[in-house]
Amino acid sequence: MRTFVVGIVAVAVVLGLALIAMTVGRSVPQAPQEPGTVNALARSSDACVVCHQRATPGIVEQFGHSTMAAAKVTCRDCHEVKADAPGAVAHEGTWVVNHPTAATCGKCHAAEVAQFSQSRHALPAFVAYAGTGALSKPLRAQYDAIPEAEFQPERMRNSLFALEGEEITRFACQNCHDVGKPAADGSVGECSKCHLRHEFSLAQARKPETCNACHIGPDHPQWEIYQESPHGIAYATGGDKWHWTAKPGTLTVNDFPAPTCATCHFSGFGATGTTHDVGDRLTWYLFSPISKRRPAWQDNRTRMQNVCRTCHNENFIKDFYEKADVATEKVNKWVQESDEMVAPLVKRGLMTKAPFDEPIDFTYFELWHHWGRTAKFGVWMQGPDYTQWHGAYEVLKALSELRTQVQEKLHGAGRR
Amino acid sequence: MSHLETALPWVRGRHSPLSRDQLMLLLAAVNQLFLGVDTYLAHSISGTIRPWEWTPIVFGPVAGLLLLVAGLIALRWRTPAMGIAFVTLLASVAVGLVGSWLHWQRAVLPAAPAGQTLAVYLLVWAPPLLGPLAFCGVGVLGMSAAWIERPADSGRLALPWGRSLPMPFSKTRGYYLLVGLGVLAALLSSVLDHARTGYDSGWMWLALAVGVFAAAVPIVLGLMPHPRVDDLRVYLGTMVLLIVLGTLGSALHVEANLVGEGVVIVERFIRGAPFLAPLLFSNMGLLGIIAMMAPTEEWG
Repeated sequence: MRTFVVGIVAVAVVLGLALIAMTVGRSVPQAPQEPGTVNALARSSDACVVCHQRATPGIVEQFGHSTMAAAKVTCRDCHEVKADAPGAVAHEGTWVVNHPTAATCGKCHAAEVAQFSQSRHALPAFVAYAGTGALSKPLRAQYDAIPEAEFQPERMRNSLFALEGEEITRFACQNCHDVGKPAADGSVGECSKCHLRHEFSLAQARKPETCNACHIGPDHPQWEIYQESPHGIAYATGGDKWHWTAKPGTLTVNDFPAPTCATCHFSGFGATGTTHDVGDRLTWYLFSPISKRRPAWQDNRTRMQNVCRTCHNENFIKDFYEKADVATEKVNKWVQESDEMVAPLVKRGLMTKAPFDEPIDFTYFELWHHWGRTAKFGVWMQGPDYTQWHGAYEVLKALSELRTQVQEKLHGAGRR
Repeated sequence: MSHLETALPWVRGRHSPLSRDQLMLLLAAVNQLFLGVDTYLAHSISGTIRPWEWTPIVFGPVAGLLLLVAGLIALRWRTPAMGIAFVTLLASVAVGLVGSWLHWQRAVLPAAPAGQTLAVYLLVWAPPLLGPLAFCGVGVLGMSAAWIERPADSGRLALPWGRSLPMPFSKTRGYYLLVGLGVLAALLSSVLDHARTGYDSGWMWLALAVGVFAAAVPIVLGLMPHPRVDDLRVYLGTMVLLIVLGTLGSALHVEANLVGEGVVIVERFIRGAPFLAPLLFSNMGLLGIIAMMAPTEEWG
C-alpha cells in the first residue's frame, strides 16, 4: 500500500499545484501566448537585421514578429541568391533579390505553391489582362493545364487594359491580377499578395479583409456581399473571439463558428482538406459572361458541401444548391438575351471595331461583367441586396437600355 | 520467485518462450519501428520534410530491423549480436539527444528581448522537446536488456574478460526506475501537447492524474529494496491502468481527428491530435509488466 499512498499523494500535489498555477495565472496580466507575439529579432546581431533596423526598421519589426523568424528563417534564406539568378543585384558582398518569388516560398511550402500554380489565382489571373502572348512555351503549357484556360484568353482578354494604358493599369488591373504574374525564374505568382510581407501572419491571411483588397467593387463585390451575408454578420459581431491562429488542417467550428473567405475556399475544414487552389471547391465558372459548370464540378461541390455540412443539414444544403443553380441559369439566360440582341448589329457591321468607344459597348459589357456576375455572386454568397438591387435589377435595366440602343442603331442603319 | 509471480500467484509455473531481456529487446525493436512512423507523421506537419528531418524517420525502421536481426542471431552468436545491438542502441541515444537539441533550438528565441528568450508558451508551441528523447529511452532500455546481470538480480553487470560492473540497483529495480522516468517523460510531453488546447476536455485531466500516479508508483517501487506483495499489486494494477489509458487516449485522439460522419481526412491525422502518442503510455505499461518477469537469463 505504500506505493499506492505515495502515488495518490503525488497526484494530489501535482493537481494542487496545477490549480494554484491556474488561479495565479488568471490573476496576473496575460503574457504573450503564441509565437509571433515576441520580436524574435529584437537583440539580433545578424548583419542583415542590424543594418536594416536602421535602413528599413518597419520590415525588420514585422519580420521579427513573424512565426518564420521564430522558426529561425533568416533574411538570407529568402533573399540571398546566386549571382546568375534572374533579378539578382549585388548587395553588401552578396547577391540578393528584392522580391523573392513563389519558387522561394516553394522551397519550404512545396504543396501550397503547387496547388496555387494550378489555380485561377495563378496564370489565368495574369492572362486576363496580359493575354497569352507574354507566356513562354512552358508557361503556356502550364496555363493550358488550368481549367480556366478553356475560356480562350484572346477573346476574354479585357480590352480595357490596352485602352487605359499602363499609366493607369499599373495602379489598377495589374495591382490585383499580378497575383498570377510569372517571375523571371519561371515560377508563377506573388504569394505576398495574400500573405502580406513581412509578418506572414496566419490570422491576416485568414481574415476576409485580405481578400477585400481585390474582391470588391462593381465587377465582383464579394467583400460587400460577404458583409451583408449571415456569415459576414457573424464575423463582424463575433470574429474577434475566433481562433485566428489555430493550427492549419485542424480547424473546426470551435475555431470558426462561421466561415470567412478562407474557411470556404482554402482552409482544411470539416471533411475537406486544405488547398491553395481557389477553384477547388467551386461548381460554376461564375466569372464568365454565361456561366457553365467547371470540370469535375461534382467533386468540387462535394468539397465545398463538406464545409457547409459542419453547420448546415443535408436538406438545407441540397435545397440551397438546387435553387442557386436555377438562379445562375436564369442570369445566364439574361446574358444570352443580351448576346442575341447585339448579334444582328455585329452581323450587319453596325458595331464599331474599337472597344469601349460608344455607349452600347459599356451597356453590353456592364450587363454581364458587373451586374450579371454580381447577381450570381450574391446568390451563391447569400447577399440578398446584391442579388437584387445591385444585380438582377441592374441586369434588367441594362437589358432595357441595350434594347433601346440596339433598336436605335438598327433604325439608324435602316434609314441609311 | 519473480515479482510477477508474487503479485499474481496463478501465473506461477507458467513459462514464457522468451526471457525478460529478450522481450525487452523485442519491445525495443518494435518501438524503433513505431518511432520511425511517428516521427514521419510529426515531421509531415509542416508539409515539407527538410533533409535532416529524415534522419530519425529512416533511423527508426533501420534500427528496428537491426535489433530484430541481432535478436535472431543472438540465439547462436551472442557476441556479434551484442555488438550490433549495442551500436544500434547507442546510435538511438545519439539520435534522440541531437533531436532534442534541435527541437530545443526551435523553442528559444536568443535574440528576443531580455526575459522573453524562453517562455512556457514557447515550449508549448515548439516542436516537442521530449519527443526525440523517446529514441534515448528505447536506447537505454535496449542496452539495459542487452547487458547481462550475473548473478540474476545482483546488480552486477557482466563485462568481457570475466570482469563485472557493480550498479547501484538491480536490473529489476533499474527497469522500474526506467519505467517511472519513461512515464514521466510521456506525461510531460502530453502536458505540453494538451496545453495547446487549453485543457478544454476532462479527459486531459484524467491523463494528467493517471500519468502522475503512474510515474510515481514505479519510481517508489524502484527505490524499495524489498517491496511487499501489495506494493507489487498496486504497481501491476497501475501498469494495466497505463495500458488502458494509452489505448483510450489513442481512441480519443482518433475521434478528435474524425469529422462529420466519421470521415477520415489524412491531413487531420497528421496535423491534429497525434493518435500514436498516447500509446506511449500503453507501451510503458507493457514494459512495466515485462520488468516484473523473472530476471534469470537463460539465453546465450
